Amino acid sequence: MAIKGLEIRDISATRYAALGISKVPRMTKLIDLSTCIGCKACEVACMEWNDLPMDETYRAAGGYQTIPDLAHNFWNLIKFNEVDNGNGLLWTMAKHQCMHCENPGCLRACPAPGAIVQYTNGIVDFVQENCIGCQFCVTGCPFNVPRISPKNQKVYKCTLCSDRVAAGLEPACIKACPTGCLQFGTKEQLLEYGRHRVRELRSRGFKDAAIYDPPGVMGTHVIYVVPYGNHPEVYGLPADPRIPALVSLWKGPLKTIGSTIMLGGVTAALLHYLTYGPMEVKPDTDVKKQR
Amino acid sequence: MDQLKQTTTQPRPYNGHKDIERFSLRERLVHWTVAVSFVYLMLSGLALYFPRLYWIASLLGGGTTIRVWHPYVGAVFFITFTIMFYPWKRCMLLYPEDWEWLRNIWSYITHRGKTLPEIGRFDPGQKIFFWLMASAGVLLFVSGIPLWFPEKFSWNVRLVSIFTHEVASTAAIAGIITHIYMGTIGVPGSLSAMTRGKVTQEWAKTHHARWYRRLKEKGII
Repeated sequence: MAIKGLEIRDISATRYAALGISKVPRMTKLIDLSTCIGCKACEVACMEWNDLPMDETYRAAGGYQTIPDLAHNFWNLIKFNEVDNGNGLLWTMAKHQCMHCENPGCLRACPAPGAIVQYTNGIVDFVQENCIGCQFCVTGCPFNVPRISPKNQKVYKCTLCSDRVAAGLEPACIKACPTGCLQFGTKEQLLEYGRHRVRELRSRGFKDAAIYDPPGVMGTHVIYVVPYGNHPEVYGLPADPRIPALVSLWKGPLKTIGSTIMLGGVTAALLHYLTYGPMEVKPDTDVKKQR
Repeated sequence: MDQLKQTTTQPRPYNGHKDIERFSLRERLVHWTVAVSFVYLMLSGLALYFPRLYWIASLLGGGTTIRVWHPYVGAVFFITFTIMFYPWKRCMLLYPEDWEWLRNIWSYITHRGKTLPEIGRFDPGQKIFFWLMASAGVLLFVSGIPLWFPEKFSWNVRLVSIFTHEVASTAAIAGIITHIYMGTIGVPGSLSAMTRGKVTQEWAKTHHARWYRRLKEKGII
């Protein structure tokens, strides 16, 4: 289900795919954690645009967070955290959603052809009609984002509003953000804007301010400006996300070894038959005499 | 039920010769349930493991169908293998003469060279295949549970499980290739041993001389 207007750059478990030939800008979302006020307009916009119903409301004493974690029908969640950073209490709020990795672990791990696509503009999208519900993508994702729906056993996550982007619009969350914390544009533009914001933050005393664009997954199409850049964990962002080594192992060398053993075994059996022949029964005089 | 209880003590004439019963009806029923479930698990597993073999999924009803059925058939395999395991496990122990046989396996493969030690009801290759499948079966069952219910297990457990499942299934498939070859064209007469349950006396003497001798000593044949 390639969305009209979006060409495919990579696709799960498929050889000889109709990969796109056009050169298009790599689109990116920037989240400036220094200007997020935790208003949750992005959460509402996401639910509205994607027509996602709320299953149940979550109430916890003293909690600001809408629900404990991302859900199959809740793709955009601001996580609130209270941490002691040495100089006192730090109250962080950070929008969480699919990071749209340049090298997506979900797509690498997926065994179902065409269930996960990466468009030429960098968006990683799930195609539920091709999904088989095995949840290998959940295991392959270093950010723990995909969620299975108990209704249809298919996996869902943020699409970066690929339908809106295909139509030349910005994602719904960005449209709704009142503080300019969320920006949408090409990766180059937003890296430049991010560096500008980092310089500003550093001049205001956030000496560790940094851009979060993790190299372990070859960068992401959702990048953050992080005031405490040396500790992205305080915002719930993994410090060094990478595709698990076991995923790379089972999708790489293990497959080669496996197919060599299987093809080798069949070949060896056939060669044995042709070279030495079957183990025939030896004619035996003792047995014959008995009859 | 009488047929189910039938044991090796009551060989029946077959094709006019006094053939020897090699596998009882119960053994054959269990073996073929294990075999059919294994073939399903292997085909559906290969479809999910190798993208270029995903077309097998279409033959088995589609990707979602095999994702749903693979674990249930896995449970059938595990249970029936357990039923097969207990009566056979003592016959499958490897004795000194089996190790001697294994040291000279090349003579067996090439049908020339040294005279090999006489072997019992199961040959050392079958015994090793039995233990390979038993250990792979346990590993596949244990690692299969987190794959069946991934949301109930931690990230690390899921990762290690997928890895274990793939290594164990590769070993099991390597074993089954040899087993199918030896059980069909590699050793003529062995397929009918598992289908009709009987072998000729010549067959028994050629391939399982010690077993043949023991049956004779006991006066069964």
